[in-house]
Amino acid sequence: MSRRGGAVAVALVAAAALAGGGACKATLTPGGLYDLAKGIKDAKKELTPENEYYLGRAVGTKILANADYRYEDEDGWQSGRLSSTTAYVNAVGNVVAFAAMGAPRDGDRPSPLAGWHFVILDDESINAFAAPGGYVFVTSGAIHQARSEDELAAILAHEVAHVVRGHAIGSIQKSRMSGVMKQFLDSSVELDPEVEAQMASVFGGSIDDIVDGALVKGYSKDTEFEADRVGLAIMVAAGYDPQAFVSYLRTLASHQDTGSGGFYATHPKASERIAKLEALVAKQAPVRVPAIRVERFEAAVSELP
Amino acid sequence: MRGIRRWMLTGTVVLALGGVALAGVKAGSVITVRVMSAKVMSGPKFIGATAGTVSRGDQLTVKEVKGDWYRVEGAATGWIHKTNIVDGKVALSSKPGGGGAGASRDEVELAGRGFTPQIEGAYRDQNPTLDFGHVDAIEQVTFDPGELEAFVREGGLAGGGQ
Repeated sequence: MSRRGGAVAVALVAAAALAGGGACKATLTPGGLYDLAKGIKDAKKELTPENEYYLGRAVGTKILANADYRYEDEDGWQSGRLSSTTAYVNAVGNVVAFAAMGAPRDGDRPSPLAGWHFVILDDESINAFAAPGGYVFVTSGAIHQARSEDELAAILAHEVAHVVRGHAIGSIQKSRMSGVMKQFLDSSVELDPEVEAQMASVFGGSIDDIVDGALVKGYSKDTEFEADRVGLAIMVAAGYDPQAFVSYLRTLASHQDTGSGGFYATHPKASERIAKLEALVAKQAPVRVPAIRVERFEAAVSELP
Repeated sequence: MRGIRRWMLTGTVVLALGGVALAGVKAGSVITVRVMSAKVMSGPKFIGATAGTVSRGDQLTVKEVKGDWYRVEGAATGWIHKTNIVDGKVALSSKPGGGGAGASRDEVELAGRGFTPQIEGAYRDQNPTLDFGHVDAIEQVTFDPGELEAFVREGGLAGGGQ
């Protein structure tokens, strides 16, 4: 794909035919992950990718419903023919995401069921956040602060790290899951209306927890540092320059005194993140950045409002 | 629990965790596509030429294992990464957990509990102003790994994801 090519060809996923029933060989184990006696204690470990898919759809919907977050290229997403800027950000994001999936760590979430999607929010504040299920949101303000494709890759790698490490799911209050434990386990088919409504409330509460965690409260410092560490490894695996992660944080640090809300409210101080990352970056082999990566970044960003 | 048609589950499906090591997959194994859509690649890598596309529920026969990649035959012939599949023949409908009352036992155990299309539907009924049309459209868009290969080559990137 080249950003000079204008609209980038995208493939529409064909609707799959129903697989139907038939013989099966699923392996059952006694006890197992959903132990009725113990209940769900760790949503990160026990929510399935299918559960995460539905959470991600709803979290994405709530974020896009926020009047503050009009998103770029709505027509492109609807038609399947993305603008060159949106396509470019998704190309960088997918390269980074494939690198993450190709070198998984223990406890990484599996591939999002509906793939990875990188959505630009039309907002001048500096922010980026991820929903479960492979939705990554980055503001135009955050992109404008980047000076190269490698710095953009650092932003996206940090968010991909949040997804693969299941950080958003970790925002769900434990009490929600314990309160609905039995219904959750028994919710196979044909729920009665009362239980269905209760489950929908738990679903809604979980979504609110995740949105609150991503947009308002932020994650713990340790969680953010983990996303930095894993994100750095991901971008290196993709072939991007690890120095770009630190250089982007330096730019953010330069605004730390005047910045407020968004990124500044939900992330540790950039100076703290730099201090932790520098030693890791120093261990990486130097990367020569071809001029084309800066050029195609500048061309793509020049079309952003 | 009154009014609920229960599936008395004595355990769980080992496959329920997608991150689980698929140590049992070997030549001759049958595997099932878990993601909505996956590219079957011409070689064992994420970015490059594609040999075909498979969909959730497609069952494929493994001919060769190379690290985390499986060379398969079935709805498409080529290489598929382990994160896209579950081990074994599993009856999955194209919509996750979407089998409804006719869902297979596999579907219920693997995907039909907790947050399902039915629960999303009830949530949407409770929140009628939320417009799911945006994510419906966004999740339909995917990239051609062949075009990404050109992007990677032009940018001198490693591509990762081997």
